Amino acid sequence: MKGFTAALLLWALGSPRGGGGESWPTHVACRGGNLEVLYQSCDPRQDFGFSVDQCSKQLEPNLNIRFGIILREDISELFLDLALFSQGSSILNFSFPVCEADLPKFSFCGRRKGEQIYYAGPVNNLGFEIPVGEYQVRLELYNQDHSTVACANATVLCS
Amino acid sequence: MASRVGCFLLAVLFGASCKVITSSDLMCTEKEANRTYNCENLGLREIPDTLPNTTEFLEFGFNFLPTIQNTTFSRLINLTFLDLTRCQINWVHEDTFQNHHQLNTIVLTGNPLIFMAETSLNGPKLLKHLFLTQTGISHLEFIPVHNLENLESLHLGSNHISSINLPENFPTRNLKFLDFQNNAIHYISSKAINALEQATDLSLNFNGNDIQGIEPGAFNLKTFQSLNFGGTSNLAVVLKGLQNATIQSLWLGTFEDTDDQDLTSATFEGLCKTSVESINLQKHHFNGFSSSMFRCFTGLQELDLTATHLQELPSGIEGMNSLKKLVLSANSFAQLCQINAASFPSLMDLYIKGNMKKLDLGIRCLEKLENLRKLDLSHSDIETSDCCNLQLKNLSHLQYLNLSYNDPFGLQDQAFKECPQLELLDLAFTHLRVKALQSPFQNLHLLQVLNLSRCLLDTSNQHLLAGLPDLRHLNLHGNHFQGGSISKTNLLQPVGSLEILILSSCDLLSIDQQAFHNLGKMRHIDLSHNRLTGDSIESLSHLKGLSVNLAANNIRIIPLHLLPTLSQQSTINLSHNPLDCTCSNIHFLTWYKENLHKLEGLEETTCANPPLLRGVKLSDVELSCRITAVGIFFLIVFVFLLIILLIFAVKFLLRWKYQHI
Repeated sequence: MKGFTAALLLWALGSPRGGGGESWPTHVACRGGNLEVLYQSCDPRQDFGFSVDQCSKQLEPNLNIRFGIILREDISELFLDLALFSQGSSILNFSFPVCEADLPKFSFCGRRKGEQIYYAGPVNNLGFEIPVGEYQVRLELYNQDHSTVACANATVLCS
Repeated sequence: MASRVGCFLLAVLFGASCKVITSSDLMCTEKEANRTYNCENLGLREIPDTLPNTTEFLEFGFNFLPTIQNTTFSRLINLTFLDLTRCQINWVHEDTFQNHHQLNTIVLTGNPLIFMAETSLNGPKLLKHLFLTQTGISHLEFIPVHNLENLESLHLGSNHISSINLPENFPTRNLKFLDFQNNAIHYISSKAINALEQATDLSLNFNGNDIQGIEPGAFNLKTFQSLNFGGTSNLAVVLKGLQNATIQSLWLGTFEDTDDQDLTSATFEGLCKTSVESINLQKHHFNGFSSSMFRCFTGLQELDLTATHLQELPSGIEGMNSLKKLVLSANSFAQLCQINAASFPSLMDLYIKGNMKKLDLGIRCLEKLENLRKLDLSHSDIETSDCCNLQLKNLSHLQYLNLSYNDPFGLQDQAFKECPQLELLDLAFTHLRVKALQSPFQNLHLLQVLNLSRCLLDTSNQHLLAGLPDLRHLNLHGNHFQGGSISKTNLLQPVGSLEILILSSCDLLSIDQQAFHNLGKMRHIDLSHNRLTGDSIESLSHLKGLSVNLAANNIRIIPLHLLPTLSQQSTINLSHNPLDCTCSNIHFLTWYKENLHKLEGLEETTCANPPLLRGVKLSDVELSCRITAVGIFFLIVFVFLLIILLIFAVKFLLRWKYQHI
């Protein structure tokens, strides 16, 4: 009997949504000749869509991206945290303000919880060349209350 | 047992349907007992029975309610705030809120509304805020007008609205905020603006609408609290349309992702007859910034030129005589003198934060700003070896100075002599180089707040804080003390009027008993994120009614003689310490339970020892160390009884033996 109960418990935990064990599918953000960027949402509540228009290891400045998501929080203030790892060791961490009360950089700043957002436009990045290798990137967007707006685990494969 | 097995079997057989039941069994979060509940993201199809009838604030977003009608919320008649964001609502039927007389806010953001019945919003006596953001509305007639007399804010952003003509019977008398963000409005007619005539102090938001035309005279003699035309591509058209209006705050900024035209003097010509108090032009490009650029902004009090790609402002700008506040943040000045401050003689607030280039403070660049009260030069890569008397020359009325997040500063004795009126000085995250025995803050008689967090201070300099008789709030977060200890004689000696002291993350191992002996007025002390042990509490023994933060230290045991010191304080945070939950700490554990009302961070205050109790909340620990004494007592009684029994047995045995001889 005990064995049966344990099996049921395991089944319940393992079933999608029930135990929160399911993860979102991995998507391709871009795939070029020598660069491939894959990402997976790490927000347990929802997935999101993201793509980069141009994909090469020589990263152009001011890239255009496309981004679609449902907001779970107000974003009068929005911050991006980025952590870059290679072979398990941390290479780079930085935090970037996307929307601030005194400087809403993008037109979507100030949109409200529940709104669906589609952004196609520049991200104002620097241009540089990505060295050959495999990188893990964790990106997190959060608002003024530190509530998660979006979260992604990305893999960058550069050959 | 059989029924339980049956239930399991049913669960296996009807996996899917059972899951829905389990999810609706998921509890809403109680934020305030009987009043405030959050039921978001639970996949609910109805109001759960577990919610009390007294619920007033209900966050019910991201559930599933295709139809809402008068039975949907009928039980919760005390609702004042109802958030139904993205509940896939298609239909709002008749009399849905009929019995909800207290309701003042309804949020319907992100619902694909097909139809709202005429009486769907009837019932609430004071409906003040209605959110219809991104609900697919294309005509304003869609909104039922019957119960909107008290409406103060109406949010209609991200819809398909192209005309802002309100229906004739639309009540606007109490309206303060009308939000049309991200719609398809290209033209504003006189009729539409006239329909808003009854509203006073109205704020209108047209952010994200590309306005291509305003009917001449539409805003004639109208008064607005604020108007937002953010992201509009043709500013000249908008400004011409605003002629003869009175506007407190006009937001005309643009964005990274918006194409816009360069601004010239001609762009602003339309404003010559308009009265504006505050204007924002963030992220625009100026084409040949001439001195006559703002000649039409007579009477302007606040000008925000954040991130407008400026490298300098021309000298002799006209029409800025009454400007009180100027924001030049996120531009590219190389030297402070390039802002040509003399054009703004009345300036009281100046913000140049986040300059994109290394900013050189120069000499006497702001000396014409005699009325300056507030100066923010943070995040601008400023580096200076001898600050700040020449740089801040003649700023004798300055009250607020922010120099945080800059490159290394060298400070001499009396470094702020030019600003004797300073009340707040923020130097956080700016490396300060102060020579031994020097007192850079000397003679700041009115300084109340000093932020020196992460300034890499030489804390062994006993004179560092000399000459601050009125200092109430001192932040020394992240500075290091010699040997990780604050000794009896330390840099805090001259600041006897301190009320708030932050010493978090200072890598402290110990604090001398007498270290704070002259700080009798303290109300709050933050000692979190150090490596202090229980003994450091001794240094607070002469203080009463303090709020003390001792979180994330190395406190294991708090001995009996220190408990009165804790008892006399008002709040105490001891979370994230490796606290001992054995009998050697029993006095503290008993005290803890008796003083729960004073303690903060109860959830994170857990035992580290013994291993069996690791991670258990201190408030849940039941230790009875007196059991040994009681046990001994019972043991003695038991042994005593056993002896008596033995004696009786022997007696009985002997008697029995004698009887049988």
